[in-house]
Amino acid sequence: MRVLVFMLLAVNAFAQTSFPEAWPSYNGDTSGRRYSPLTKINQSNINSLSLAWVYRVNPGRAPQAGGGNVNTTIKGTPVVMNGVLYTTIPDHVWAIDARTGSVIWHHVWTSKGGWHIGNRGVAVLRETVYVETPDCNLVALNTKDGKEKWHTQICDLEQFYYASVAPIIVKNHVITGVSGDDLDIPGYIESHDPDTGALQWRWYAHPEPGTPEAKTWPSVEAMLHGGGMTWVPSTYDPDLNLLYFGTGNPQPVIAGQGREGSNLYAECIIALNPDTGKLAWYFQPSPHDTHDWDAVQTPVLFDGEINGQRRKLLAQASRNGWFFVLDRATGQHILTSEFVKTNWTLGIDAKGQPIPNPAKQPKVDGALVTPNQGGAINWPSPSFNPETGLFYANAARAWSVYYLYDTDDKPEGWGGNDRNGFSEAMVQAIDYKTGKIRWTHKWPGNGGGVRSGLLSTAGKLLFGGDPNSNFVALDPATGDPLWHAALHTVVSNGPITYELDGVQYVVVGAGDTLYGFAMRVK
Amino acid sequence: MRRLIALALGSFCNLWGQAGPYERQEVDNAAAAQGRQIYTQFCINCHGGLAKGTEQGPDLIRSPLVLRDRLGDQVGPALKKLANHKSDLTQAQVRDLTHFLKDQVEATAKNRNPVTPPNVLTGNLEAGRAYFNGTGKCNMCHSPTGDLAGVGSKYNPLDLQQRFLFPRRSKPLQVTVTPSGGQAVAGSLEHIDDFSVALRDASGQYRAFSRNKNVKVDINDPLTTHVQMLDSYTDQDMHNVVRYLESLK
Repeated sequence: MRVLVFMLLAVNAFAQTSFPEAWPSYNGDTSGRRYSPLTKINQSNINSLSLAWVYRVNPGRAPQAGGGNVNTTIKGTPVVMNGVLYTTIPDHVWAIDARTGSVIWHHVWTSKGGWHIGNRGVAVLRETVYVETPDCNLVALNTKDGKEKWHTQICDLEQFYYASVAPIIVKNHVITGVSGDDLDIPGYIESHDPDTGALQWRWYAHPEPGTPEAKTWPSVEAMLHGGGMTWVPSTYDPDLNLLYFGTGNPQPVIAGQGREGSNLYAECIIALNPDTGKLAWYFQPSPHDTHDWDAVQTPVLFDGEINGQRRKLLAQASRNGWFFVLDRATGQHILTSEFVKTNWTLGIDAKGQPIPNPAKQPKVDGALVTPNQGGAINWPSPSFNPETGLFYANAARAWSVYYLYDTDDKPEGWGGNDRNGFSEAMVQAIDYKTGKIRWTHKWPGNGGGVRSGLLSTAGKLLFGGDPNSNFVALDPATGDPLWHAALHTVVSNGPITYELDGVQYVVVGAGDTLYGFAMRVK
Repeated sequence: MRRLIALALGSFCNLWGQAGPYERQEVDNAAAAQGRQIYTQFCINCHGGLAKGTEQGPDLIRSPLVLRDRLGDQVGPALKKLANHKSDLTQAQVRDLTHFLKDQVEATAKNRNPVTPPNVLTGNLEAGRAYFNGTGKCNMCHSPTGDLAGVGSKYNPLDLQQRFLFPRRSKPLQVTVTPSGGQAVAGSLEHIDDFSVALRDASGQYRAFSRNKNVKVDINDPLTTHVQMLDSYTDQDMHNVVRYLESLK
């Protein structure tokens, strides 16, 4: 019972951001839990869930900047505000009636190029929609008609940066991240004025020269070109006024012989003051990474009981196969465990960080490594359910061989890669108190990493996609499949839920199509 | 301090100056070859053989000025302005030089793909043979004079390594489905998920079944052992076995 009380308190920690009629930002609320209190769709009636609408994005016939066919895969999580759903692909934003799937407006950005690999979605504040573009712009649109209000450059396309992240609104800040790992460029995160786009601050994912942390690089030159992209949207604790996000791989990506050391602040979970951009603390899930295991997976915030004490927690299931629980006020490490079996560490250090095994760094003749480059999890969002106390990850047990191509003392770019491998996809339900796997649901059939996010609800449901193009509801307590809908292709984004006019909707993207399911309870 | 550093870097790199043309400069190979000669003659001692810099001169592949250049519009003025640089190159020579530098940049940006396959034949042949017939128990299912005869000629060493670790399925999985109270139906697996299973039986007929706890599904996957063994191979085992397989010409 005491546990239950604490879990209910956990719900209240973000009560001010509850969102029954909306999905206000990338993760719903700012906690990153992707947990909804809605219950109209629940275990007792899930088999009555019906398809309410379908919307297939149509970007038109214009060629895609940067070459190739237009990437129409919906990888972003839609935002729903005031009955309007906003969805994206690179260079395109649609406003859609959240009740019917009808298009209200479509904005097309005229692009100068950049990687069109995907877009994670928009942020909405009052009458403005914010979106990042592959050619390095933050664009502000009018919610009424999609007309541009302003745009501002947030990165340099010439240095092979691009932008794909969903902006996040924190107070009077629009938080943006950047992408790109072809060349050795530094990652950073920025804050912009929501009315004008003016830069408020920029925080680079490397220490300042001369600080103790700078000694985790062999030289200032290596550090200033050391990567650490900010690929995935942040989470935020309004009580602590701290912004949390992960940073990506150090550069060069695979050939790490020119950057000996742990390479801070690449591969870190970072806590910043959102008003100043000042670093509060960091924790590094993958010191000296040489496997492209960006530690950008959503830092999920919840309150829970650890050894009889209520704590403000942060948990991440990281791409390298390890699960971390930290005190989000201080960054103090609480728990480290594997959520899939890995083979690349020599153990855990005193700070709770995995110690990389040099034998499993990429080799000219190959090193057999698990997880593979795709990772034990990738960008798709996890979910934390305060009722079960479980952290859910759409995970993979995956193997590949890592090769070192560039043996120069100063490699640049990637200098290596992994190749092929075996992969088995599953949902892992992790007990945050012990790090143990409470249950595993292996997806039958095709292997490979699943690119579906997860959503849990107070209706005792856990939604996600399987590798066989099904949109599935599992029992969050056991992992048993309860319901499914066969879509035309695999789920490609994170599902959301919202309630309008007493009707609860669940919306999910698969390829170029959004599917809206509804429960009409009388 | 952080902001000051950011601003300083921004200023140095001209980060927020005017944008260049939309497309990156397309490398002219002939011009790049000419540019390489110019680079070798005038630049190599300070900027290094691969333009990655030395203690005497900065890395040009990581140089925002080079990255922002189009046909010498940035490099040309910089050469005239900077001390100890070749300031009297013709416009054509500067253009050739930028083609060489852009070629180096493009090669770096794509170096996740090898120009030549890596050498994976570093293992010990006899140790590989011993593993094959001993610890690995490979000989329980495979034979160097049977299914693996000539495998060293059939595949290059890199593909051999990959196929040994992650063998591809040569024929469909076989499945047997036993409905509640019904007869078992066997065939080639067509589809399986949590909710249905489908097969094609020996006559070629497609058969599908809804899955529930009363429907028994048995799949015989001959690759299961290979997957399980991934946890037991050492990298040295891997190299030795590849060396042994490569000898099976």
